[in-house]
Amino acid sequence: MQKVVSVNLNGNAYQLEEPGYEALRAYLERAESRLETNPDRVEVMSDLEQAVAEKCGRYLGPNKTVVTATEIETIIREMGPVETPESTAEVGTSAGTGAAKPADEKCAPKRLYQIREGAMLSGVCKGIAAFFDIDVTVVRVVFVILTFATFGAWILAYLMMAIVIPYADTPEDRAAAYGLHLKAQELLGQANLHTARALREWRRTWRRQQRVWQRSWNERRPWEQHMAEQTHGAMAGGPPPMGHFGQAMAGISLPVFAIVNAAMFVAWILVMISAAMTGTIFGWSLPADLPLWGSLLILFAIYFVLTAPLSAAQHGAHHGWGPYYGPWAALSGLFWLGFTVLFFWLAYQHIPQVHALLDQLPALWQKRQTSFVV
Amino acid sequence: MSTPISEKLTPIRKGLLELVILKIIAADKVYVADMLKLLSDTEFATQEGTLYPLLSKLRREQLVDYEWKESDAGPPRKYYKLTAQGRAQLAALNDYWKELNRTLAKLEK
Repeated sequence: MQKVVSVNLNGNAYQLEEPGYEALRAYLERAESRLETNPDRVEVMSDLEQAVAEKCGRYLGPNKTVVTATEIETIIREMGPVETPESTAEVGTSAGTGAAKPADEKCAPKRLYQIREGAMLSGVCKGIAAFFDIDVTVVRVVFVILTFATFGAWILAYLMMAIVIPYADTPEDRAAAYGLHLKAQELLGQANLHTARALREWRRTWRRQQRVWQRSWNERRPWEQHMAEQTHGAMAGGPPPMGHFGQAMAGISLPVFAIVNAAMFVAWILVMISAAMTGTIFGWSLPADLPLWGSLLILFAIYFVLTAPLSAAQHGAHHGWGPYYGPWAALSGLFWLGFTVLFFWLAYQHIPQVHALLDQLPALWQKRQTSFVV
Repeated sequence: MSTPISEKLTPIRKGLLELVILKIIAADKVYVADMLKLLSDTEFATQEGTLYPLLSKLRREQLVDYEWKESDAGPPRKYYKLTAQGRAQLAALNDYWKELNRTLAKLEK
């Protein structure tokens, strides 16, 4: 089901599906800006509207009163980009512009965006649904399942996507998010707007994510404890009496796990930053045919696969402590935090690539924001 | 790498479009959809986005004029025709094009 927008095309009313309306409005706005210096602007614009109206009429009948987004897309493609005869003359005299022009006018490919309208949290799911042309609920359900399957770690991936994927805030962006026909050139013009907007959004998303995180964290521990009790109950018919040896082992393993985990986490974060900001992992380039977010997802998956056995073992060690689980988990968390900070500092001090990357971070972030849209 | 041939042909086609359109309008009173259909199977296939601005320019230069005609399939349409000035310019452009062809033919020998 799509929302319908009524438009007046040169004196006649037509009903268009909303994405189609956005695309058409973008097309006409672009035409108008192209014709800005053209003395025939008013006349050409009304001619174009008339032509669109006639083409819409082709799709309408007694039993069909709405023009769909796909039909609008076809119409826009048929109309073609608006070229003023003056720019045609330029092309005629200079082969250089002639060569550059067709490349600009290629239709923009479908892009992954976050879509604010109808979003539950940040709009990541909505954007992914639009990108793959599937129902947003399916994406949300998959995300929820992934969150449980990864013991909440998927939220980190979501957060990453919320930061990395730009918002579709202009008609052009939205059309590109849904894969409608538009030009790359105009999208470039939006880049500056994005920089400011992305920063503001980032802060808002971050706060929102923190709340989500907090909530899932609070829910998670009793649930896990419950699970642990059940398993132990099934195995030994009651909470396990843990021997001194077991306790000692857990005591030793706890900091070890925390250290290994922290080291892997630091390495992973650095790799992610490097990948997201420079498109390479410390000089090792990412696969060129894969979009950035795809590479980031794969990196996340690799990290999860590597750390899953570790964290399972860590949980196992915790559970051995039965009633002491809470304090030990807190201690383990502190250990982890301490080592994470320590490793970051060590990496910054002793690995020149990391040093360079972190120093360039503010500049790279600026650059990244502008090049996301390209 | 050398420039692909298609990129060298595009400006030639674009430059000739005005002559082509004047020729079509000279033959008969036409409206834009007719012109697009006539050209659709030729090298000069074009789109509304290009044609309307070109026609408006030709009208401003008083080479073509149009009249409104009622159509049974919707709102009235603009039918274009050549003015006397347009006819003169078409003849001049045509002569020049023939001249170019003669020169090219001569150079081939």
